[in-house]
Amino acid sequence: MKGLLRSMGVTLSAFMRKPVTREFPETHRELPERDRAFPLLLWDFEQTEPFCTGCHACERACPVECMTVLMKDNPNHKSAGGDSTRRKIIDKFWIDYGRCMRCNICVEVCNFDAIAMNNTWSGHEMSVYDRADLVQDLPQLLSESRGGELKAWRAP
Amino acid sequence: MTTTTPGQEFETQDLMINMGPQHPATHGVFRMVLQVDGEIVRDLIPHIGYMHRGAEKLAETMDFRQGIGYMDRTEYLAQFNAELSYVMAVEKLAGLEVPERAQWIRMILCELNRLSSHFMFTGAFGTDIGVFGTAFVYSFRERETILDLFEEITGDRLMYAYFRPGGLAWEVTDNFERRVGEVLKSARQGIKDMDGLLTENEIFRARTQNIGIISAADAIDWGCTGPVLRASGVPLDLRKTEPYLRYAEVDFDVPVGQVGDTYDRWLVRIEEMRQSVRIIEQCMAKLQPGPIMPERMPRMLRTPPGEVYLRTEAPRGEFGVYMVSKGGNRPHRLKVRSSCFANLQALKDMAIGSYVADAVAILGSLDIVLCEVDR
Amino acid sequence: MNAELFGSQVNVWVDALVRVLIIVGMMTVVVMGLIWFERKIIGRFQMRLGPTRTGPFGLLQSVADGLKLVAKEDVRPKNADPWVFELAPYFVFVPTFLMFVAVPFAFGFQVRVLELGLFYVLAVSSVSIVGWVMAGWGSDNRYAMLGALRAAAQAISYELPLVMAMIAVAMVAGTLNLQEIVLGQSRLPNIVLQPLPAFIFFTATLAELNRTPFDIPVGESEVVGGPFVEYSGIRWSMFFLAEYAAMFILALLGSAIFLGGWAWPMGEQWGASWQLLLTTVKAGAFIFLIFWVRSTLPRMRVDQLMGFSWKVLLPFGFAQIMVNGFILVNGWPAVTSGVLLGTTSLAGLFAVGWIVQRSVSRPRPRPVMMARSEAAQ
Repeated sequence: MKGLLRSMGVTLSAFMRKPVTREFPETHRELPERDRAFPLLLWDFEQTEPFCTGCHACERACPVECMTVLMKDNPNHKSAGGDSTRRKIIDKFWIDYGRCMRCNICVEVCNFDAIAMNNTWSGHEMSVYDRADLVQDLPQLLSESRGGELKAWRAP
Repeated sequence: MTTTTPGQEFETQDLMINMGPQHPATHGVFRMVLQVDGEIVRDLIPHIGYMHRGAEKLAETMDFRQGIGYMDRTEYLAQFNAELSYVMAVEKLAGLEVPERAQWIRMILCELNRLSSHFMFTGAFGTDIGVFGTAFVYSFRERETILDLFEEITGDRLMYAYFRPGGLAWEVTDNFERRVGEVLKSARQGIKDMDGLLTENEIFRARTQNIGIISAADAIDWGCTGPVLRASGVPLDLRKTEPYLRYAEVDFDVPVGQVGDTYDRWLVRIEEMRQSVRIIEQCMAKLQPGPIMPERMPRMLRTPPGEVYLRTEAPRGEFGVYMVSKGGNRPHRLKVRSSCFANLQALKDMAIGSYVADAVAILGSLDIVLCEVDR
Repeated sequence: MNAELFGSQVNVWVDALVRVLIIVGMMTVVVMGLIWFERKIIGRFQMRLGPTRTGPFGLLQSVADGLKLVAKEDVRPKNADPWVFELAPYFVFVPTFLMFVAVPFAFGFQVRVLELGLFYVLAVSSVSIVGWVMAGWGSDNRYAMLGALRAAAQAISYELPLVMAMIAVAMVAGTLNLQEIVLGQSRLPNIVLQPLPAFIFFTATLAELNRTPFDIPVGESEVVGGPFVEYSGIRWSMFFLAEYAAMFILALLGSAIFLGGWAWPMGEQWGASWQLLLTTVKAGAFIFLIFWVRSTLPRMRVDQLMGFSWKVLLPFGFAQIMVNGFILVNGWPAVTSGVLLGTTSLAGLFAVGWIVQRSVSRPRPRPVMMARSEAAQ
């Protein structure tokens, strides 16, 4: 009986402790800086265009082939009368979040620091009713960064 | 199947019961067909393969960095240990020297992962034995604090992809030492809770003692490794017998059971958790600042042709990676030697002749991860 | 034929109808409260919060659950035996509510004061097992079948210790009338005189209610809900309702025959409302203990459960009855016989504890530690 009583004692001591539950939709745990949700594209506020030049590095490195990248000549490049130093720029970009396995490789291979993992809660609360809605296009990928709320973390 | 007992005028027939793949006690999508005579299991037919994703084959199409993610998903409760085997195999092939700091950090994370994995075992096993969620919730509370630490370091709660051939993907957080101390403190409390909740409990002991006994010789014949083998009394722990990383420099004991039953497997795992805490404390004392990657790393890692088998002690036993390279940036052949797969084979031997409830307990005590079994 | 109801004379049939309606209405509310209580209590035992979303403190959780269950499709498996399957819930539901007739709340505040109240409660409570077996057989499901057979075996095994415990108490009280049993405890509750029967009663209650550690008929990790595995919607909720109603009734009964019900420690002179409160608190403590046990202990195995009943509880129950007889037959003064009863019974309780501990102990439960040199060989 001693063991049974000891077990009962353990549960009773837990009964006296404070519950550890967080009531999720109301209280969000603070995410660590390095949190990896899904990859996002970053917005260059100085040039008012994406950092991404559409160089296909991430697309080639992606283990699950969830990215589709199309590049174009930058209409804002200096040669075209604009003030940007980017000769090429991203035209269309799709990431299928349904396939992405959040391995961070696209971020590591990017030469322009143009892609980052979303470390906010918006990257985690992404449930949709249709899988097709998980395919994100360029404006959607940029919107978080354009809003200015994203503080992307880079590996030191 | 139809049996007639002498002196019994009517025929009795054994009942076939299908358990799984959607049964709450089968730990994922394992299916077993039980042939029961009343409550006693006469035969057990395991069916595996519901989780087969071809992870080994997939990883053959990927370069060495991309393959790490698939190792995470192969062993989703001891991801660091699985990654470790893979990256160490690559390192051995490529002849890379891993900096000391990276080795210590790898050890700390692997042992923390062992803790979190064993917590998962204590919780799930408690549920199998019939504790109404309490063991599960207590275990998950502790596992959660460990996962929080992993998330702070690697950015992800489960699929870390943090170990890289040569070292680590990036440096740990600045408050690493303080956080590990906090986690260890809560883990000690968790071990105490789980130990107090079940180890001495008479009902728990009645349910687990002398159930699912496997002798040392049988366990070796079946290829069991890890706690299942050690519970049978074989002191085989790869961290001791063929030390990798810096395990030769830390001091720890290998718990060994005496009977080889379900209860011994529980005790061995509980004791291993204590030893893991001990190892982590020693590692933290020896952790020095320094580089985490070798000086010159090629941008795209290529290995010379060759083949390598590398095994490490994962929480469930020997996690081995056999890798053949024909030169180039990806393995020509990759084979994962899964401890769960081998341990699961012994289930039939252990379960026949026991009660239906025991079959569930025995399956729980093997602590299988179906992803690793089916790969 | 007239009967007295709330101080006025009414026809017996009207009287019966009113009482039944009051019972069913009250029990439904009580059961909903109990379900909420259990979820909150077990939540706290597991360091969770329990239901919080529906209403203040999640109080309306049971209402929400009930609405969901009523709205759910009532599925009957194709191969099920229609009559047996459909009638099974009633065979569980009705006997449980019949038990309620004799249970005392306060002085003169019960449905009927029956001379053989204890006997009646026992007799009625064992009927519901028929419903369980019907559910298991009618579902045409192997898990259900296993669960039903387990339930039948368990009910038969634990009915006997339950009876033994109650006989021991009845011997001490000298009556089977529940009201008089309670009245007799106005100075000392029976648990002091009869701790062993109290323990046997508690254990057997857990088994009767199929609650942990005796929940093998419904064991989630083995037979996935047992006899109820094919039931859904309103039929399933009837089983559920009956289970919690039985728990409440057995808790009331336990508090009445062992904890002194409404009589101890204040006697009968206090008002009915105080007595009601006292009964509720004692039953609540009993139920809390059930929840506590549920959130702590693992499930026993079917053979161990039988062994515990037939090899431990039943012989000790018999022994208690014999000891009671030897002591009470002498007609000693109340203090002498009380002390004797209490000490012998307590000794029996310790003996049970010792046997339980003895049956599982192993010489060295701790694993052997291998240091480096040994392991390396």
